[in-house]
Amino acid sequence: MAISEAVRVVVGPVEDLPSGSRRLVVPFRGRAGIGVFNIGGRYFALRNLCPHKTGPLCTGKVTGRMVAVGPPSAGDAGMVMARDGEIIRCPWHLWEFEIASGRCLVDPQVRVKTYPVQVEQGEVVVYAREADLPEQPPDREPPPA
Amino acid sequence: MAIRAGSRPITAPGWTEHKPVGVGLVDCDVHHGVRSLNDLIPHMPQPYRQQAEEQGVRMAGSGYFNVAKDAHRTDLVSGADRPAQDRQLGTSYELLRDEHLDLWNVDYALLTGGSAYGASILPDPDFAAAICRAFNDWTMEQWAQRDQRLLVALAVSVSDPVQAVREIDRLGDHPQVKAIMLPTGSRMPYGNRLYHPIWEACERHGLVVGIHPGNEGAGMAGPPTGVGYPTYYIETRMARPQMAMAHAVSFIAEGVFERYPRLHVLFDECDQFWAIGLMWHMDADWKSLRDQTPWLKRLPSEYFRDHIRVGAQPFMEPENDSQLEAAMQALHADETLVFSSDWPHWDWDDPATTFHGLSERSARRIFAETACEMFGIEARPADAV
Repeated sequence: MAISEAVRVVVGPVEDLPSGSRRLVVPFRGRAGIGVFNIGGRYFALRNLCPHKTGPLCTGKVTGRMVAVGPPSAGDAGMVMARDGEIIRCPWHLWEFEIASGRCLVDPQVRVKTYPVQVEQGEVVVYAREADLPEQPPDREPPPA
Repeated sequence: MAIRAGSRPITAPGWTEHKPVGVGLVDCDVHHGVRSLNDLIPHMPQPYRQQAEEQGVRMAGSGYFNVAKDAHRTDLVSGADRPAQDRQLGTSYELLRDEHLDLWNVDYALLTGGSAYGASILPDPDFAAAICRAFNDWTMEQWAQRDQRLLVALAVSVSDPVQAVREIDRLGDHPQVKAIMLPTGSRMPYGNRLYHPIWEACERHGLVVGIHPGNEGAGMAGPPTGVGYPTYYIETRMARPQMAMAHAVSFIAEGVFERYPRLHVLFDECDQFWAIGLMWHMDADWKSLRDQTPWLKRLPSEYFRDHIRVGAQPFMEPENDSQLEAAMQALHADETLVFSSDWPHWDWDDPATTFHGLSERSARRIFAETACEMFGIEARPADAV
């Protein structure tokens, strides 16, 4: 089966995608490929194509969301980095996206496509569509070392 | 666009007579001033009274020409049976009443002064505060109390925010006081936190923060452009949008409208086109740079549309009506644009011929409603009819 027709892509063994890391799978169905992320043991996949101006979103910096309690008078803005490791910023124009949902955090009209990811037989597997997921629940346990 | 210039019923020679009903015309920029700064001396406390008597009233200028005085609105004075001193335009209440308020059926006019704009950039903040107090007392006594249609923009010096707040507290609850007026020329952009107590006082008294070209390059103010001092007056006029943009971005980025959510800022005589590009570009850049000003909860253009108002004079004169229509739409003119005449200056805009093809709704918004909302005055006072 040609990769452009793939509905199921094996990213690799779970050991190769530890928490806080990402892998880029390119090309995927002839498109820009996808980025697969492990955030605290949960896997997420995003299209590597920023909906803003088609930049390579998944190559961007994984970071958090800077928040403040109020405008900065007398140093009381209370700026903190929230949800560190859960946000990605496209390297073109630095728009912020929530990795888990694909939601753009600076424009509510914008969302990047997400893909189902799961662990099957100790391997991280991405599906092109929800409908492509196997009917049987996969073995979510990694194989014995 | 159905309505053409002049079809709105405003009374003026050659225009359809109409009986004023409710509030139909609010002018957000009418200048008044002293014939000589020495007229303020009786209103000044010691030691400034003595200093002024000995050395004149100090005020910084930037050295640029305006137009020749003898070419400047000669229609208002030549041939009229007016005393010679009234030929200094903007110094006579009677001239304003007869040649503007009554002529055009102006319901309310914001007195934006001019004589004391330079106080904010004078080196001595105590003298600056004193001359503002003197000008305000003179304004209340010589103008405001003579005509209920006159709204007052207080002269305030930002160089000492404590005294600025004191002056706003002293006069800010007078029913005709609706704004303060500052020059575009400044030491730093007005969103800076040093000025926040002034904005707090304005919000507390329901006063609009008015900003008008003035004193750029004078006193302690920065040069009129970001690239230094231009040579000619026309260059300083073209620099006004630069200054308006710098102040507007500063108010938004520094979170002034998050901190003071009922505050309005009015840019008079700074053009309008800049507001369109500013809203577009600031929204686009904010999406990239949001993390640096995370206290902003909304798009910059939303703050602009809710809090910043743009005086309509000098009005855009594009190549054709379709360009104007597109610009008005992009400006969200029904929310952001307020009529201002700049009376009695040579580059003024009259209310009848300036606007092409306004819908009835737009005319209502631009000529009256938006300004009434900004000033917190009833759109239809009971005694209007």
